[in-house]
Amino acid sequence: MKNRIYWLLAGMLLAVFCLVGKILAADEAKVTVVNPRGTPPPIRLVPMTPRFDTLDGKTIYVINIGFGDTFLPEVQKVMAEKFPKTTWIFKRKAGRDYFDDDPKLWAEIKEKNGGVIMGVGH
Amino acid sequence: MVTQRFQELVRTISWKKGMPKQRFTFVPHPVAGRPPELCNQYVRGKDPITGKLIVDELVTALTSPLAAEEKKTGFLMRDPQPRLLEPNTPTNLIDLFEKNSWTDGLPIILPTEAKVAEMLKGTSHKPDEIVGTMRPSPPHEAWEFNVEMVAANAVMAGAKPEYFPVILALASTGVTSLFSSTTSFARMAVVNGPIITEIDMNGGIGAMSPLNKANATIGRAWTLLSRNLGGGAIPGQTYLGSQGNNLNYNNICFPEKEDKLPAGWKPFSEIKGFKHGESAVSTFTGWEIVHGGLGMGGGKEGLARAISRYSTGAYRQVTLLLDPIVASDLKELGGFQTKEALSEWLLKNTPSPAQGYWRDHPDQMKQAKSGVEPFATWLKYPEGALIPASSFWPDVPVEIIVVGGETNAFMQFGDFRHISTASVDKWR
Repeated sequence: MKNRIYWLLAGMLLAVFCLVGKILAADEAKVTVVNPRGTPPPIRLVPMTPRFDTLDGKTIYVINIGFGDTFLPEVQKVMAEKFPKTTWIFKRKAGRDYFDDDPKLWAEIKEKNGGVIMGVGH
Repeated sequence: MVTQRFQELVRTISWKKGMPKQRFTFVPHPVAGRPPELCNQYVRGKDPITGKLIVDELVTALTSPLAAEEKKTGFLMRDPQPRLLEPNTPTNLIDLFEKNSWTDGLPIILPTEAKVAEMLKGTSHKPDEIVGTMRPSPPHEAWEFNVEMVAANAVMAGAKPEYFPVILALASTGVTSLFSSTTSFARMAVVNGPIITEIDMNGGIGAMSPLNKANATIGRAWTLLSRNLGGGAIPGQTYLGSQGNNLNYNNICFPEKEDKLPAGWKPFSEIKGFKHGESAVSTFTGWEIVHGGLGMGGGKEGLARAISRYSTGAYRQVTLLLDPIVASDLKELGGFQTKEALSEWLLKNTPSPAQGYWRDHPDQMKQAKSGVEPFATWLKYPEGALIPASSFWPDVPVEIIVVGGETNAFMQFGDFRHISTASVDKWR
């Protein structure tokens, strides 16, 4: 019984502290601050490339931009096994890492009207 | 195809690149270094995010007709950024800043109009003048900011108005201190010129310790503005450092100890093309700083051996932070009359750890295996040996900065590379 009374008193004390805190906060004068955030630019929407109606007879490039060394060759193998009427080409993008562009490869894909599966991550 | 750990990142980036509906297929993470057999199983298995077969998803992504949303043109507008926030109590505003992750987790000074106006007295530039743009890493879009926005972050960091030209100069470089890379980069800021004494920066005893207000708050301001003006520091989206880097709290911000440079050794900013008497701040990128031990104990060859850990692999770059005693010894005992002479000698004479050397030099490895000297002899060296050839990037000099209070002949060095140097005077 004694314990219950102690707990009750402790709870009431806590409630009083919270109430006082809220009242003090409410009494604080309001201030105006400058927004510390910069200005993000609007984003220009880029329509996506139309898709193939079928994969038969098409060429699909599986491109590694630094996605480990073993994963994307397996993607090429599995897809070639399951879709033999499609040409599946594995390529490693030129350059040391994902920051480097490879316009030659993009031109090759465009010329062949190819599709692309690209790997991101590691 | 994306490893599942980067789901949030790629959705954010595709939105920012204007393709919010980009088609993704997720695979288990990681795949790097996994054996082909396991990778083959992954490809035949299910997307860990959607639960669908990966092969089916790939076919659907390539052949399913585009939805109207995927063909859209025009612009995605961002939330407007009001110049002032809604008036509120300091307690509530602090809560707001913390909840929105506009702080570095430490207490801040609220950028009230009065405090920002006071900070703006530190420059002659107008509050609405555009200072520059910043982004967390190249795939992200650049955010723009003006003088007043930089001032707000300078106030938050606890800086004084007289420090403001240095902070503006740092902001003007467009270099974020919170670069978004899984490898957790650090940054460093080194100040040169008369501004050092004008604002009482410390390049002497404890220059890199938390002992000086200017060093501390200028470095901190760089991190706050990188978060808030450069659109960075959202874990998983605009900050990817797997473990993070504690150096980012202050970005190793200090001035060079110019009055203790050996005669003939130029201040760092002068080596980068600034005139004597000009104030400037230089930014560096790297990962770590380590103690290099006692200065000239092992001679100049000992120094070259000490920094060899940075001469291959991911690093291939190094910056030396020399106590004035070590700098003086390198001149008097080592014979290096200038920083440039020391830098050039180290580039040529720093050996490379064998494992890293062979990894970075596949052609030389082929020659070594064919018996071509000296590579064939080097290949016979035991594991852990040093190859007597430097593998630093050929166009990245060994950078040298003098800092410290001469209480010991110590030096530090790290895998830091100079990025840019900006005029402080321009922002007075």
